[in-house]
Amino acid sequence: MLYFVARRLVSALSVVLATLIATFALFFVAPTDPAGAICGDRNCTQQRYQEIKANLHLDQPKVQQFAEYTAGIFTGRDFTTSGVKQHCAAPCLGFSFKNDRPVTDMIKSRFPVTLSLVLGYAVLVLTIGVFVGSMAAKRRGTLGDRALMTSTLVVSSVPYYIVALMVALYLTVLYPILPRGEWTPPSENPGKWFAGMLTPWLVLGIYNCVQYARYSRGSMVETLSEDFIRTARAKGLSDRVITYKHALRSGLIPVVTIFGLDIAASLGGAIFTERIFDLPGLGQLVLDSLNNYDLPVIMGTVLVASVLIVVMNLLVDIGYSLIDPRVRLA
Amino acid sequence: MSIGSPDSTVGIEDHPASAEPVRTAATPHGKSPSRIAFDRLRKDRIAMICASIVLFFILIAIFAPLLAKLEGQDYSTFHTDLVDEYGYPTIGVNSAHWLGVEPKTGRDNFARWVYGARPSLIIAFLATVVGTIIGVVMGLLAGFLGGWTDRVISWVIDFVLSLPFLLFAIALVPIVESMRGGSFNLTPNEQASIRFYVLIFVLSFFGWAGLARIIRGEVLSLREREFVLAAKAIGVPTRQVLFKELLPNLVAPIVISASLAVPSYVTAEAGLSFLGVGLVEPIPSWGQTIAVATNWFKADPLYLWLPVVGITALVLALALLGDAIRDAFDPKTRR
Repeated sequence: MLYFVARRLVSALSVVLATLIATFALFFVAPTDPAGAICGDRNCTQQRYQEIKANLHLDQPKVQQFAEYTAGIFTGRDFTTSGVKQHCAAPCLGFSFKNDRPVTDMIKSRFPVTLSLVLGYAVLVLTIGVFVGSMAAKRRGTLGDRALMTSTLVVSSVPYYIVALMVALYLTVLYPILPRGEWTPPSENPGKWFAGMLTPWLVLGIYNCVQYARYSRGSMVETLSEDFIRTARAKGLSDRVITYKHALRSGLIPVVTIFGLDIAASLGGAIFTERIFDLPGLGQLVLDSLNNYDLPVIMGTVLVASVLIVVMNLLVDIGYSLIDPRVRLA
Repeated sequence: MSIGSPDSTVGIEDHPASAEPVRTAATPHGKSPSRIAFDRLRKDRIAMICASIVLFFILIAIFAPLLAKLEGQDYSTFHTDLVDEYGYPTIGVNSAHWLGVEPKTGRDNFARWVYGARPSLIIAFLATVVGTIIGVVMGLLAGFLGGWTDRVISWVIDFVLSLPFLLFAIALVPIVESMRGGSFNLTPNEQASIRFYVLIFVLSFFGWAGLARIIRGEVLSLREREFVLAAKAIGVPTRQVLFKELLPNLVAPIVISASLAVPSYVTAEAGLSFLGVGLVEPIPSWGQTIAVATNWFKADPLYLWLPVVGITALVLALALLGDAIRDAFDPKTRR
């Protein structure tokens, strides 16, 4: 077990390191002009350009730049902008000259939005999605099951952003049946927070429930045909106890695996949802930064998102190996 | 879909007079798995409907200039006389403009719609071809050679699969543009064509890894089979073993993965264009039109619905067709 965890840990670390190098190479080593891009061409004075260049340490060798960037993540570093010295505290992911703020601060201020979105989404898919999937598995082959599976196939084939956009435009703007998406911190006004998040949750949740219903149906169908279920039946347990207590417990394992990765990916920015419902989350941050070529912010967000995925991957793998020892041999 | 009837009796039904099927030189003995799958697909009514919808869009894309000429319009001419001072079109659907004109610029909707089918399909198909070739070659090498090659390729696959696709796609656009001198120094045409290639690159870069993993797994089991061992024993060169012996056995996973990739690439292309990181003016594209049309949807719903219907119909047909192809090649997955 220890060997397995150690091996997974090393491979996860290597992926994180590779991501760090790859993003750094993309943004700062490729024949680009980050300082020029950050400064903008229209009203960039030569002095400002040189200042940015010096602040990003672009005049130093690339290896040293990389070492400083990496060191900044662990120990923090200082930037000088317009003559004022700014400290970028420990997990320093660079400095946004456009906004005059450390990237880490910007990501931190946007993260609660994405987190709220993903938490509500998680609750929906794990309850409705899994429940519908298990129901279908229990009634496998019936008309209801087949109708459900066909409709899930059709729904999941329609691009998500089309569904979200149509709901946003028609059900919240033209015919305001649902509250419009907007962000209010829950600490400020929980009621308003809930109302503003409700439509994004519903759209993101219900669209993806379809996927989860498919996964859990598939996994439950397999589990329900196993020997221990027959034993449970032979013992005379009720159908409900068998499905929701015995089968669900082992049938859920593959679903939870997918769930872990899905959540990690969504935390890196549920970009379409944030854009369409106007929620200032991480995805929106990247899009905003894109419009004004704020490369350090984009790079920081990409790094955070990649690390989230790798960590989640690792947790899922280790968790899986605890439940199912056969995995460790692979 | 005929589940119960074995395909080997097909020949007998054709010639009820004799118990043995009459075989001429033209009818080979038995059928290849691909042939069986194709026959199965042809009997699948949903698949055939979807295939004709896809064909319809392909024809639209190919004959876009002809269709626009038939209408007598083109996709780039401004008709500012047809919009009022607030930018709303003053005409609706008429014989000169079959689907009306765009708000603000007054460009012809029909011409833009038929031309909009082009980038979606071209990008999706090119990305699928590139991604499939890379995926197959990588998977074959990793699975067949094993050892360090396998370890390195597998690591790269894991690495690519753990990158956040959408974020990377968004991040790559400004980088490539600033490599070419920054968006300020590019003409709209240059910017549009750069975006076009960036999209193909990004989609195929993230698309090959999944297929490579599947192919590697298949090859791992195939390479221990007798026919491969026999080929190796009589000294067939590695390249020939890979492409002449192994590849024909991998047709099913390759076709399945490619047919499921196309709809997802169409979705991704339109989605990125909608976010503003995909195609830009002057290339007409559905995703970008949707983004603009959301500002006008109350006054001019047709403008929004045209690209929405285009993408939805195309992706739905492609996805259901892909699903049917998977069922045809691998009956175990049938619902």
